[in-house]
Amino acid sequence: MAYSEKVIDHYENPRNVGSMDKNDPQVATGMVGAPACGDVMKLQLKISDDGIIEDAKFKTYGCGSAIASSSLVTEWVKGKSIEEAGKIKNTDIAEELALPPVKIHCSILAEDAIKAAIEDYRSKQS
Amino acid sequence: MNYFDLFALPHSFEIDLAKLSAAFQSLQKMAHPDKFAHASSQQQLLAVQKSANINDAYQILKTPIKRAEYMLQQRGTDMPSEQTSFQDTLFLMRQMELHEMLEELPHADDIDGAVNAANETLDNEYQILFCQLQQLMQDNNTASDKIASEIVRKLKFYQKLQLELERIEEQLFDE
Repeated sequence: MAYSEKVIDHYENPRNVGSMDKNDPQVATGMVGAPACGDVMKLQLKISDDGIIEDAKFKTYGCGSAIASSSLVTEWVKGKSIEEAGKIKNTDIAEELALPPVKIHCSILAEDAIKAAIEDYRSKQS
Repeated sequence: MNYFDLFALPHSFEIDLAKLSAAFQSLQKMAHPDKFAHASSQQQLLAVQKSANINDAYQILKTPIKRAEYMLQQRGTDMPSEQTSFQDTLFLMRQMELHEMLEELPHADDIDGAVNAANETLDNEYQILFCQLQQLMQDNNTASDKIASEIVRKLKFYQKLQLELERIEEQLFDE
């Protein structure tokens, strides 16, 4: 199966790979996995006091599409408020990366990672 | 027809693989499409379908994870779709660590030792989950079946790690 140019670009030059301190109260961590293919994705967001995502890092073990989806998401969420980031849909990711139907689940994983990170942030705030 | 009935085996997760294999071979012999070379085209088609069905059933019962999934489906357990992402954070953190461990293998001072240790770690963690699965499959009630389906999902992550380790080993020892 041929990957789109955008997938290959993110795969070869992934943006924002890395980790942040998950115990930092400003850092939200979203961990998600896909049993069907064994992919594991970690998305971390550094969120300012006024709810703006200042930085994002990811680490993904999975196929090219999973890596590209999470790399793209880190680019998209930076500078957004958590409310805006929470509105990113898997279909936006799949469309941007021209993912074929069998790889749609990779974009779902990336969307779920954002949601999981936001949930982690809210539970840390409360 | 239930796959266990097809091979005349008890409906149990603990399976006698020798009996399964013997039953499979004798059924496959009876249904072999070559036997129907002179039969009507309809009978030939039926034989091919039957043979394929026996094959599917055998592959599912032979493989523990598929067998568990099949039994849970038969019991009417609500299985999360393949598309549903898994969100057990502690489990996934451990998965990350294990992937990192595999990533480091080529850089180890003692590669053989590190590969063996990695195999052992993966085996141990798989076995712990697998033993839980065996017990839960035997318990056979709504609550245990639900937990069992979670464990099946977890075991799939270990399968992936196992494949990844095999791939790394091939690369390392080919050089």
